[in-house]
Amino acid sequence: MSGDNLKKDLKKILEEASKSIKDINSISDLEKSRIQFLGKKSLLISLMKSLSDLTKEEKSIAGKDLNNAKTEINNLLADKKISLSKVDNVKKDDFDLSMPGKASSVGSVHPISKTMDCAIQIFESLKFECVEGPEIEDEFHNFTALNIPDSHPARAMHDTFYLENNLLLRTHTSSVQVRTMSENTTPIRIIAPGKVYRKDSDITHTPMFHQIEGLYVDKDVSFSNLKSIINIFLKSFFEQDDLKIRFRPSYFPFTEPSAEVDIEYIDSKGNKSWLEILGCGMVHPNVLDMANIDSSIYSGYAFGLGVERLAMLKLGITDLRLFYENDLRFLKQFQRI
Amino acid sequence: MKLTRSWLENYIDIPFSTDELCHHLTMAGLEVDEVLPISKDYIIDIDLTPNRSDCLSVKGIARELSCINKQYKYKLDKKSKGINPTCEQIDFKFNIVEKNICPSYGFMYLKNLKPSCVTPKYIVKRLNDIGINLVHPLVDILNYIMIDIGQPMHAYDADKVKGEITVRFAKKNESFEALDGNKYKLSEDNIVVADSSGIISLAGIIGSNNCSVSEATKNIIIESAFFEPNAIANKARKLKLQTESSQRFERGVDYNLPKKALIELQCIILENKICDFSNFHFLDYKNLLPKQKEVKIEFDKIRKVIGIDLKDENIEKLLLSLGCDYNKKTHTVINPSYRFDLSIHADYIEEIARIYGYDNIPLVSESINIEPNKPYQPFHIINTVKKYLYDNGYSECINYSFVNSDFLENFDWKNEEFNEHHKITNYMSVEQNKLRSNLASSLIKNIEFNNNMNSENSYRFYEISNVFGEKVEQILTCVVSGDKEDENWASKKQKFDKYDMTTIVEDLSKSFGVNKNKLNYVIKDIFYNKKSYIVLTLSISELIKEKQGIQEEKFTNYSKLPYIRRDLSFLIDVTVRYESILKLIEETNVHSLKKILLFDLYVGKNIPIDLKSLGMGFIFQDEIKTLTHEEADKHIEKILRALNDKFKIELRK
Repeated sequence: MSGDNLKKDLKKILEEASKSIKDINSISDLEKSRIQFLGKKSLLISLMKSLSDLTKEEKSIAGKDLNNAKTEINNLLADKKISLSKVDNVKKDDFDLSMPGKASSVGSVHPISKTMDCAIQIFESLKFECVEGPEIEDEFHNFTALNIPDSHPARAMHDTFYLENNLLLRTHTSSVQVRTMSENTTPIRIIAPGKVYRKDSDITHTPMFHQIEGLYVDKDVSFSNLKSIINIFLKSFFEQDDLKIRFRPSYFPFTEPSAEVDIEYIDSKGNKSWLEILGCGMVHPNVLDMANIDSSIYSGYAFGLGVERLAMLKLGITDLRLFYENDLRFLKQFQRI
Repeated sequence: MKLTRSWLENYIDIPFSTDELCHHLTMAGLEVDEVLPISKDYIIDIDLTPNRSDCLSVKGIARELSCINKQYKYKLDKKSKGINPTCEQIDFKFNIVEKNICPSYGFMYLKNLKPSCVTPKYIVKRLNDIGINLVHPLVDILNYIMIDIGQPMHAYDADKVKGEITVRFAKKNESFEALDGNKYKLSEDNIVVADSSGIISLAGIIGSNNCSVSEATKNIIIESAFFEPNAIANKARKLKLQTESSQRFERGVDYNLPKKALIELQCIILENKICDFSNFHFLDYKNLLPKQKEVKIEFDKIRKVIGIDLKDENIEKLLLSLGCDYNKKTHTVINPSYRFDLSIHADYIEEIARIYGYDNIPLVSESINIEPNKPYQPFHIINTVKKYLYDNGYSECINYSFVNSDFLENFDWKNEEFNEHHKITNYMSVEQNKLRSNLASSLIKNIEFNNNMNSENSYRFYEISNVFGEKVEQILTCVVSGDKEDENWASKKQKFDKYDMTTIVEDLSKSFGVNKNKLNYVIKDIFYNKKSYIVLTLSISELIKEKQGIQEEKFTNYSKLPYIRRDLSFLIDVTVRYESILKLIEETNVHSLKKILLFDLYVGKNIPIDLKSLGMGFIFQDEIKTLTHEEADKHIEKILRALNDKFKIELRK
């Protein structure tokens, strides 16, 4: 084999390779082409094997030529690979962006928890401190200390679950007011969230529900302060700056003056109506006195929110009983955090 | 309290639409529940608060309206004096034993009731409108007067009453049959009206069957009395016998009303020629009547508590408009006899605020010190737990705290037998007769419920709540069942096992920096209705307590030198606990052992039944010099020897 013949052969191989690689349009064909031109059985490799017949001098020249040719073919292949992958990346990769992922591990938070948390956060930002009280209460903390003596007609409003040994399930979180006032020094600024129980069960009542009690006792606390804090809370909770709120006189034995608060509700047809959302008032002087807080110096406001009611309005839930069925079709609707 | 607009117009001018009227009522605290238009009129249903007994009559509501808005002009009372009787009194003796409770007892006789007499038409119409059934012409008239002016009266068939009429407490175990046909067993604090043969009425609540007025009745004794509210309050409720009458007496009826009511009755009887009537007579103990209370008005306190700037004379005007007696010199005020709810200064603050209008009170924010929030730690901890569970696919449930006697309930949360439940003495249904001592039973039932309703293959539920075992404790319970993952294309259909619950405990212990061994938790299988559930329960109360002592996390330096790993696979007695293996390895005191990985656990085929196969990886690393392979070999030898000596392990190839 002569050097000239080799040069001719290489030229031919290169031309052929260049032409063939140019026409390739798939990665698999590219691989075939690599085997054809650079594989063990390729012409180029067999030429390399035949170098042993040449003289030392010829060998070095021919080797250089052969290596150059090999590099050139490799470059051609590499360039083609890049251009191919640029053209149809997705076609060649079976990843489907529209496919569902593997197992989802997102759970859900109960809408009552969610609502309660949201309210707590707002009140904490308004400098109310969170406290808790027992669900099993006695008559004193649930009624007597809240100015509801046994003979008081207001006791008829609370259908109480009684336990043995004169204990009961608290009918409101207001019982925490009493405990907090007798255990702390003024000023007192607290909220008390939790479960409460009443012997009542129909479309609009469940025997267990959730409340958040609020209490602020200090010198010079006024009803206008109460109006302000409730306004701030409701607008923030419903994320509605123009929310219409009204205070309407009402009666609770443990507050005086007492008020019920309504918010304006506009249904899908545009009909407006007022919906009762919470009860509140100025702490009754008897309640302060019973907790050893001098009612001639101190005053306070208190409010009680029904968490279910807030949740229903905010989330558009129409049936109270859904909260306690724990149906996944209900629970899984609350996956946002 | 139901009434009609036209009835109200008997007492006041209403220069407003019914919508406006209702708005005024609601904003005065007399919340209008419902308005129903009927021909040329409206039925208005007012939800009265228990303090406003003075508004339990049409006249009372008219009076209230005229006081909150001067445009409701009050029409003057026409009748004020008794009218000439048409018959003599019947000879009955009365004895008021409990004068404290009944300081004013009025009575009157009606004679010769005509069998043909009918209820006057306008009364029929008004009672019908507000949904009160017609009973007997005379009873209807009494009902009408009660709704009209607020005084409940009672009619006894005079021919059935025997001997002296007394007002006294019920005797021990005394019972009586009421008008409603039911028999009631009374207690000694029930006040009754009785004749020589027994109880003829439960005072102020309901009459007895044996002296009631019927079609055959010819002669009647009318009772129009004042009963002390506290003596009536609660009694009707305890007997489950609430009546229009008891509702009024327990809240307080103006003691000036009994007489007015009798005059009203005389007028109606005369006008409609129902029967003959006698003079009325009263047994009065004036010094025992409720005392009207004198209260000194503190103008500054009123302004401060409400947060308004109202002049003294305007406050005085408002007080006068309420019908109070006000003394300008002493600044003292006396409540009208119909306002039982006005007795202390705070009552007047409320009245001033109410009449001033809650809507007119400005919003004033209190000034608060600017400090960072201090989020309540227990909730912060619970929220962290909830977030973790949310991220791991758990759905939060909330169940009632009461349960029944299902066998699942006979355990406390630690899965120990428990039968000392708090029982609800007045439960609504047997299904809810005691407080739950664990959460697993509720959650298992939640899964069962969902299994019937939905097509899920994987359930991951949890609840955080108080349970009422030997002590009240807040716990977290996770219950899982079925596949580990929701059905999906990449799923290996793995089932849950108890070690999945261990992961939760470990992860939580890491998130709170609390040692896992310090946590109080239980992991159990529970079989129920042929299904298996895995249950983790962890005491949140304990977690909160533990977390309190935990210091802030701090950085510790670590070695950057290369590590060497050696793996051991061996068979060991199946009863050997992992913690004792760890303890033994720790005791070998190999300082450069940085980490132990358990990469395999196997029991089953190809292994003797009393053995398990463990695969453990040991990572060695020195802090000051590069560890050599020879040293690593030496360490692993030492560990292996220790394991061999203690547990007789068998190395696997």
